Amino acid sequence: MPDPSPRHIDVRGPRFVAGITAVLLLLDVFLGLLAVNTTSSFGIADPFAARVAEPAFLLLALIAALFLWGVLSPRTAPWGVLYRRVVQPRLRPATEFEDPRPPRFAQGVGLVVTVIGLLLHLIGVPWALPIAAAAAFVAAFLNAVFGLCLGCQLYLVLQRVGIVGRPSAAA
Amino acid sequence: MDLFFAVIVLAVLLAVTVGIGVFLRWAQNRPRRGDPAESVDPRRLGAESLGDAATLLQFSTEFCARCPGVHRTLADVAAQRPGVLHLDVDLTHRPDIAKHFQVLQTPTTLILDRHGVVRTRFGGTPGRDVIELELSRVAEEIPHA
Repeated sequence: MPDPSPRHIDVRGPRFVAGITAVLLLLDVFLGLLAVNTTSSFGIADPFAARVAEPAFLLLALIAALFLWGVLSPRTAPWGVLYRRVVQPRLRPATEFEDPRPPRFAQGVGLVVTVIGLLLHLIGVPWALPIAAAAAFVAAFLNAVFGLCLGCQLYLVLQRVGIVGRPSAAA
Repeated sequence: MDLFFAVIVLAVLLAVTVGIGVFLRWAQNRPRRGDPAESVDPRRLGAESLGDAATLLQFSTEFCARCPGVHRTLADVAAQRPGVLHLDVDLTHRPDIAKHFQVLQTPTTLILDRHGVVRTRFGGTPGRDVIELELSRVAEEIPHA
């Protein structure tokens, strides 16, 4: 199976995307921590509206939207486009290529984690937002810095539990 | 929460994450010994036979970013050593094999001796030199009676 088939992508692309995502998530953890146990609600009386107006909520919603974009249309997702247009031309030509499906699957895992955090935050669970953002940060940081893709590794575990995957082709 | 504690928590989060990364990278280069009683039947994996000296048995899935890189490394190692065969088995549609070998992460690489006995197991992306070392140990060992 030769590498540079048109379907395959430069391995540095998803790591670049994970790096930007990790920075945004770390910022979101910080904002979320500052908002824990504070009564200042920007002068808004309704607690639900106040939770929606929190900067940490808005930023995590933006990150979740970017995850969703990465799942639905990886070719047009903003950070990927930024990488191909601006970063890649300045680097040496790519030597390693990979299947685009694993990073796409991992974006889906990131989406699930952040959406759970957003929903729990909306119903008023304290700490839910910074903890979800921190979990997603760990995965994004390990991908960007160490090249470890936890979302990809999760696939076999999920398959074992029977959440994903198709029945075996042969007995 | 005040600014000072938020910064402390952030620093702890960063330190723990780096710690996890360093540990996982270390664990990937640590070979584990296999069960000497169990031998692998190549036909079950869809292969004709095993390597004459040793076999590098790699497990991959479609959703595995690091598998193609490990595939290249192992194929290269096998090509340079006579009698060493590289098999790459896609587990995406074969959960039965994944269950049998207790594979919970891909890539996972097993080094089989010439009898098909699992001698070494690597989870993740081991370095080329570590594979070469283990391969030498397995392939050049004096055969048991």
